[in-house]
Amino acid sequence: MSAQFSIRDLAVSYGRVRAVKGVSLTAGEGQIISLIGANGAGKSSILRAITGLTAPESGEIWFDGERIDGKGPDQIVARGVAMVPEGRRIFPFMSVRDNLLMGAYRRKDNAGVASDLEGILTRFPRLRERIRQQAGSLSGGEQQMVALGRALMSKPRLLLLDEPSLGIAPIIVREIARFITSINRDNGVSVILVEQNSRMALKLSSHSYVLETGKIALSGPSHELAENDDVRRAYLGG
Amino acid sequence: MTQVMLNALVVGTTYALIALGITIIFSIMKVVNFAHGQLYMIGGFVVYYFNVVFGLPFWFGLVMSFLIVGLLGVAMELFLFRPVMLRVKREEVTMLLAMGTAVFLESLALIVFGEKQRGVPPIATGIVELFGARLPTGRIVVIVVAAMLIAALMAFIGYTKTGRALRAMAQDREATALQGVNLKWLSAMGFGLGTGLAGLSGGLLVAIFAVHTGAGTAISIKAFLMIMIGGAGVLSGAILGGFVLGFLESVGYALLPGSLTFLIIFLIVICFLIVRPNGIMGKPWG
Ligand SMILES: Nc1ncnc2c1ncn2[C@@H]1O[C@H](COP(=O)(O)OP(=O)(O)O)[C@@H](O)[C@H]1O
Ligand SMILES: [Mg+2]
Repeated sequence: MSAQFSIRDLAVSYGRVRAVKGVSLTAGEGQIISLIGANGAGKSSILRAITGLTAPESGEIWFDGERIDGKGPDQIVARGVAMVPEGRRIFPFMSVRDNLLMGAYRRKDNAGVASDLEGILTRFPRLRERIRQQAGSLSGGEQQMVALGRALMSKPRLLLLDEPSLGIAPIIVREIARFITSINRDNGVSVILVEQNSRMALKLSSHSYVLETGKIALSGPSHELAENDDVRRAYLGG
Repeated sequence: MTQVMLNALVVGTTYALIALGITIIFSIMKVVNFAHGQLYMIGGFVVYYFNVVFGLPFWFGLVMSFLIVGLLGVAMELFLFRPVMLRVKREEVTMLLAMGTAVFLESLALIVFGEKQRGVPPIATGIVELFGARLPTGRIVVIVVAAMLIAALMAFIGYTKTGRALRAMAQDREATALQGVNLKWLSAMGFGLGTGLAGLSGGLLVAIFAVHTGAGTAISIKAFLMIMIGGAGVLSGAILGGFVLGFLESVGYALLPGSLTFLIIFLIVICFLIVRPNGIMGKPWG
């Protein structure tokens, strides 16, 4: 059985800067895997390569038995991959509603879109209250909810999350963690979670990869990594 | 004075249409399309050819002015602006490219259309009395059509899926691509929509003012003025800028000797920009 998603020997460079130097990883259907590592380790570069925002230098990216590297973001999104990018990147001068509807851009099933929108507003009641407000006027946590909701509106089968807890109040981080668990469990969405909040990442995921300067330094079941002395010292604060 | 106000309304609505076109292009491409007036001029000639030379209805010519000048814009985006913008990131380069395109289009128009002034037969006859002023029916028709086009455009941008994607692209191209939008296609389409509006305004105004190949330069400058007044990149600002300029111009022409009007308008705009450098509504649109 081959995994739903896999990366083989991926390399990403920006001019002379080699950000990712031969990374391989896999994610099974319905799995949450996490990618942890210090700032600048290359986590975002991997996600950007998966969605086609950055063209990989070499390597292969496979999704559902099809090679997707070299395709444009629109083609990759059409195949069921969605991403919440680093820094959320919501559309600040657009209403919350329009932001969420942008996520459904490629969908033709209007009834399904309406009911999914309703589902997201039920999960995040704060967004329902602010549905007509410009998204840029929302708090950081609320903006993250918009970004998550927007990504879900495309009905993805693989969701990439780039530091969803960054700069967000702890109480909302917990809400977002519950949300990630529930979409994985209820909707069967596979998740690749990138986090500097390693504690949260190891807790939510079943398998984790530790990235150091563009290479995988360590990988394994998350509960084992959480016990690993090196990981505890470097990423969990002792 | 009512007469002057009604004139301002005629000029204002069509100017608003011009300003909306240049604003859409600026918002999604960050390019100031200095060739906008030349595209307007070509729109005028398209209507002249269909209506007078081929003998087809004016309204058919108007639709063609939108389509033909729109397609010209799509070609400009695909073959001129996109390849250049992929190679260079500096803004001056696209400005120069737009100016070069303006000169090219104007010279080409001179060869193809000649230097004669061209007009079309009146689109409506008769005079309407409004608030004690007398206005040719043709002008009323132009106001109404321009206003309907503006309303239709605002509805398209505000309430359709494509319009929403255009707004998104103006704010964050990468995030828009991540929603599954094909940026290449949408950029070309948006550019074509903007130039199509230039063609449409030129086509509409040929019903009132005749068109000649040199008419574009003044319109390009005026379009630039309008978005400076209204606020670059804001649709409501574009409409406002169009009306403000239309008003100043109509009042100026009524009260002052010809060439003084634009001298004074430029002075007013410069002083205004010192106070409000982002224009009346200066913020990105959405
Ligand atoms: N657009 C870019 N241009 C040049 N260098 C970049 C760019 N983006 C990232 N880098 C570099 O690539 C490396 C990896 O960055 P990134 O993937 O953002 O890491 P992380 O997400 O783990 O913090 C860093 O050294 C960073 O400086
Ligand atoms: Mg990052």
